[in-house]
Amino acid sequence: MNTNGNIYTIVYTTVIVVIVAGILAAAATFLKPSQQANIKAETISQMLQAAQFETAGMNNVQKLDKYAAEIDRAFTVDAQGAKVKDLDVSRGNIELEDGLKAQNYALAGKGGYTVGLPVYILKDGVTVIPCYGAGLWGPVWGYLAIEPDGCTIKGAYFDHESETAGLGARIKDDPAFRSQFVGKKIAWGQEPRFDIIKGGAPAGQQNAIDAITGATMTSNGLNGAINNWLKAYEPYFNGIIAAKAAEEE
Amino acid sequence: MTLKETFLNPILKGNPITVLVLGICSSLAVTVTLKGALVMALSVTVVCGLSSLVMSLLRKGIPNRVRIIVQLVVVAMMVILVDQILKSFEATYAIDKQLSVYIGLIITNCIVMGRIEAFALGNKPWPSFLDGVANGTGYGLILIIVAFFRELLGSGTLFGIDILNRLGYVPNNLVILPPFALILLGCIVWVQRSIQKDLQEK
Amino acid sequence: MEYLSLFVKSIFVDNMIFAYFLGMCSFLAVSKNVKTAAGLGVAVIAVLLITLPVNYLLNTYILQPGALKWAGLPDVDLSFLSFIVFIAVIAAIVQIVEMVVEKFSPELYSSLGIFLPLIAVNCAILGGSLFMQQKDFVNIGEASVYALGSGLGWFLAIVSLAAIREKMSYSNVPPALKGLGITFITVGLMGMAFMTFMGISL
Repeated sequence: MNTNGNIYTIVYTTVIVVIVAGILAAAATFLKPSQQANIKAETISQMLQAAQFETAGMNNVQKLDKYAAEIDRAFTVDAQGAKVKDLDVSRGNIELEDGLKAQNYALAGKGGYTVGLPVYILKDGVTVIPCYGAGLWGPVWGYLAIEPDGCTIKGAYFDHESETAGLGARIKDDPAFRSQFVGKKIAWGQEPRFDIIKGGAPAGQQNAIDAITGATMTSNGLNGAINNWLKAYEPYFNGIIAAKAAEEE
Repeated sequence: MTLKETFLNPILKGNPITVLVLGICSSLAVTVTLKGALVMALSVTVVCGLSSLVMSLLRKGIPNRVRIIVQLVVVAMMVILVDQILKSFEATYAIDKQLSVYIGLIITNCIVMGRIEAFALGNKPWPSFLDGVANGTGYGLILIIVAFFRELLGSGTLFGIDILNRLGYVPNNLVILPPFALILLGCIVWVQRSIQKDLQEK
Repeated sequence: MEYLSLFVKSIFVDNMIFAYFLGMCSFLAVSKNVKTAAGLGVAVIAVLLITLPVNYLLNTYILQPGALKWAGLPDVDLSFLSFIVFIAVIAAIVQIVEMVVEKFSPELYSSLGIFLPLIAVNCAILGGSLFMQQKDFVNIGEASVYALGSGLGWFLAIVSLAAIREKMSYSNVPPALKGLGITFITVGLMGMAFMTFMGISL
């Protein structure tokens, strides 16, 4: 048989593409529900870890239970800090705003998305907010837990898609990097609101931490992600801080 | 060539990294930690073996002009499928998180493509499968040697467990940068060719 | 001015070989003499120059979130397909380049050997497309300039390595280190030298 003829080539390629597409589509459709359950549990565990709850060794059900026990209310806000919609926090129907990538596009003014930034408020008054941006090889994202005063960071947790193991991947793997965030204060209204400084943050600077040696691009990317998102959340937190000040008077 | 030779040759005499010069990019990227190197070595072995097997089964029907596309599509499908399946079980989800970092590197790893081009397209399925697995193993062996030195000297740890730091060692940051991996690879080639003199270039 | 700084930056600061260490396999294997190296360099420039704008258009009008607004589907996000689409486009274009080279320069074709098909898995090419996606270029002009710049950077790197290797054939290298071994080490040293460009912002 002539395997180099035009018709044969076209038919062969079409058949291969159809088979491959069929297998991948079937796998994606069939496996999607269980994948999403895993991703949801992971997102929840990352938020809990940002807020300094230990989730190691928990299975998916326990993670969801823990979240339902700790969460007070959750909703999304727009770029002016006004509430857009509530997110369900009841155990049976936990709702998360997990379209961080879409939100990142919305912040950049691209795509057909509307801004709806998620805010998760725990029973102890701690607010957990996400951030998302580009690292060196792919996206980096994470969660910041902010104390009820609206500017002190209680903890942080970061994740990435494909940063280099041992270098950029340390934003996730290195507890020492994450623990630097604890107790730092966000400088609302300043540029930058938070800074990850190559070569080490000056002692006493309240809104800065040290970058990871050898992972400048990832550190810069994470810094950009944090600052972009903090900037978007600023109106909301200004509202919180103002309300608190009024309450104290 | 007997089956035994087919299997042993890529690990020693025809090692993909130190003799055939394939798969260098990924060997620089994943050798900062031993754990990363191990995950990458295992996944490349599996993917390389399976894709060689499939391509060898398909070898008689592939039109020569589109063979590269067919190869890439098959390899990419294999990798994405493994990724999807691992991702959907709670028990394997954590493993997949480790692996998904390297998905792009596995698909574009020239060892997989190189062995399909050079071996699987001209041989029967079983030897092709062995050849794929053996090349993955030979590649993994070098990765683990390089990663051992890079993690030990660059972070002072092995598998994340502190070894040298407690002795007062200050980690050398040059070691975790890619140029040092190249120099280490050069040294490995030096050692290998001092032992196997027939590999020396004139 | 924008274009000029992007161009210079993509050649030196973001050099595919020495800053990102992408496309190493063919870089090391086809740098024995300047002539073949230049041939492969030109092939990489050509493939980058075609694939990057094509992938840019695909990314802007089909793949990225909101890209299908023109078709009345603003909420569709096909970005999960970008990897396989980019790879397929690259493989198709490489296959075409392969056929053209085979027809017009059989000599170059035979000396490039297995490495021409391997351009398809040359990480520099796929890396170019993935970086393009990340850098959010505003128009196709920027994407093309970036393609030309990173292609030229790759070309410069491989030609200079080939020149060094040609000179090196007169030096007294230990026999086991000859060829591949000393090349690894040379590239490592060149990489360290290129790191001086890293901090420069243009």
